[in-house]
Amino acid sequence: MKSSPLFFLGLFAALALSLTALVLATNAQYGSLAPFADVTAGAAFPQAPLGLAARGHMVYQDLGCAACHTQQVRRADFGHDKERGWGDRQSVARDYVHEDRVLLGELRIGPDLTNFGARAAAHGLNAAQLLAFLHNGQGAMPAYSFLFVKQLVTGQRSPEALTIPGSPDYELVPTHRAEALVAYLLSLSADHQYPETMQPAAAAAPAKGTK
Amino acid sequence: MTTTPTNAAQPEVSDIDTSARCPLLILIGSAIMWLVVGGVLALIASIQLHTPGFLACCPSLTYGRMEAAQETAFLYGWAINAGLAVSLWLLARLGGAPLRAAGLASVGAIFWNLALTLGLVGIFAGDLTGFAFFQLPAYVQPIMFVAYAAVAVAGVLAWTGRRNAFTFATQWYAVAPLFVFPWVFSVAQVTLLFAPVHGTIQAVVAAWFGQNLGALVLAPFALAAVYYLLPKISGRPVRYYDYAGHAFWTLLVIGGWAGGRQLIGGPVPVWVATTGIIASVLLLFHYVVVGVNLSGALCPRGSLALRFTAIGLKAYVLGGAINAVTSIRAVAKFSQFTFFSVAQTQLLLDGAFTFMIVGALYFLVPRLVGKPWPSSALIRIHFAAILSGLVLKVGGLFVAGWIQGGDLNHAAVSFPTIAGDVRMWLIAATAGQVLTLLGSLALALNFARLLVVRAEQPAAELFRPPAAMEVPVS
Repeated sequence: MKSSPLFFLGLFAALALSLTALVLATNAQYGSLAPFADVTAGAAFPQAPLGLAARGHMVYQDLGCAACHTQQVRRADFGHDKERGWGDRQSVARDYVHEDRVLLGELRIGPDLTNFGARAAAHGLNAAQLLAFLHNGQGAMPAYSFLFVKQLVTGQRSPEALTIPGSPDYELVPTHRAEALVAYLLSLSADHQYPETMQPAAAAAPAKGTK
Repeated sequence: MTTTPTNAAQPEVSDIDTSARCPLLILIGSAIMWLVVGGVLALIASIQLHTPGFLACCPSLTYGRMEAAQETAFLYGWAINAGLAVSLWLLARLGGAPLRAAGLASVGAIFWNLALTLGLVGIFAGDLTGFAFFQLPAYVQPIMFVAYAAVAVAGVLAWTGRRNAFTFATQWYAVAPLFVFPWVFSVAQVTLLFAPVHGTIQAVVAAWFGQNLGALVLAPFALAAVYYLLPKISGRPVRYYDYAGHAFWTLLVIGGWAGGRQLIGGPVPVWVATTGIIASVLLLFHYVVVGVNLSGALCPRGSLALRFTAIGLKAYVLGGAINAVTSIRAVAKFSQFTFFSVAQTQLLLDGAFTFMIVGALYFLVPRLVGKPWPSSALIRIHFAAILSGLVLKVGGLFVAGWIQGGDLNHAAVSFPTIAGDVRMWLIAATAGQVLTLLGSLALALNFARLLVVRAEQPAAELFRPPAAMEVPVS
């Protein structure tokens, strides 16, 4: 190799190729993907998260929860995601259109959280129980006790506070961050059916614009 | 087929080396400092994996942030600093002229490390981006881009101002990352942080960036060093050198595509994963050619520097092969999302990259400062510690990943049970992390002593013949 310009041109072309495909072409393919307007339900899905839940997503990001949890369900014949109850259908790109920062996760030290809210509702897990779980930890999950403030009970107990076994005078009050995180986790649900998630046999009408 | 990069009559310590002394010592000193800091952080994160209560008291030390911080300290602190140092040194040496723009490179190196320090503080404060290999907060990233470019200018000038029009494989591999990193780094900054793309395209871009950082920035830095050291130290030729160019261009053209294999089965277009798989398999050609080219380095015959290189090279080829196998969908189904993939990354970073670069540092630092290493015992301790550390760490994680993959595919096995099943192997990985840190401390101690001891003899006499150069002569 003798020619510098040719060498740098080669480098440029090599990088431009993968950049064009993986950054520009994916953007052209589904960069403008919008929520699906479901006429029968009279709403567009997925629905944008509400205030507290949206702030909870930032807590999820800044504590690095995505280091141990994924938010992507694989299709039924690829792994055992469905058997674990993580979701009846595969996650699709449309599920993420409202997220400013998409954290799919790369490790499953803990369970997948794509449908955590729906799962919690089905199992009767409420915000108070989830707060207690966050405070105590379990298995490989550390205790997030720093998301709570221990304080003396004065007058009436705070509504969301956890009790401390053995010391009735004190209570554990969840911080705003803890409440936001719990609201976020309980809001997680991606089970709405879109044209692209329906089985070909189930979809009576041909799904337009999907592959 | 036989190619020796430099003229044997050239003096071993020359103006070329001294011209680069200031920026290179800043880069190498910072690199070693970050290697130790990153080792401490990695040890803490490793303990937290099997003992979640460890340092769980405050948000800054929680596992998610610790993991991001240790990865950042390793990649941007150790790997890029050391890689840049090796690259500049090789380009100046093979260019046959003193380093130009060395002052600019020094300033760039200082700013890079200051910004990185700020970035790590930011990560501990909760400003991590959440993207693997790209965790630095948005507010330090533009500074780091400019700082890297300032250092890279010196390398590019050494390439364009070279005395010999013909270039050797070392120079291609050394100059490519100077160009690739600013490009992919700036694209990732814009498309992930400042004008983010929508939805899961972010995941595709993040995978593309991570793949480029590993395969087209860090790996070339390390390979540049090996293509130089092998003929230089052992006197053995690069075998089938004619194919080295093919291996280089295969890596450059195909390497960036392989990131898609991390997204198999994910909510992205299927073609992204498929091209990732095809690219990972095609890259085998690169690994085979590099392995054959440099097979002379596999039996080091008494050279301490080459002993590191030999392990690094084996880890590199093995890592490439494992990446290709686990990219196949039937295998990915089990290995995906488990410690198996962590082990793969560590094999390539802690194994391949670190060993190859450390081999180069043991060779070049004495020439840079004109003094031999004060202790060959510390070099031997370093080698034994990081080799046993690597085996324990990567081996432990591979087994843990295997068990975890099996457990995850039995829906009845709960997560606390899985944590119990893999605990012993994660403890083995922690033991490996301890050994790795001890090895890094040996390097840091040796380096610090080298800077303070005074040379007893005129340096030039110490530095030939080549075999005596990376160990003290006394």
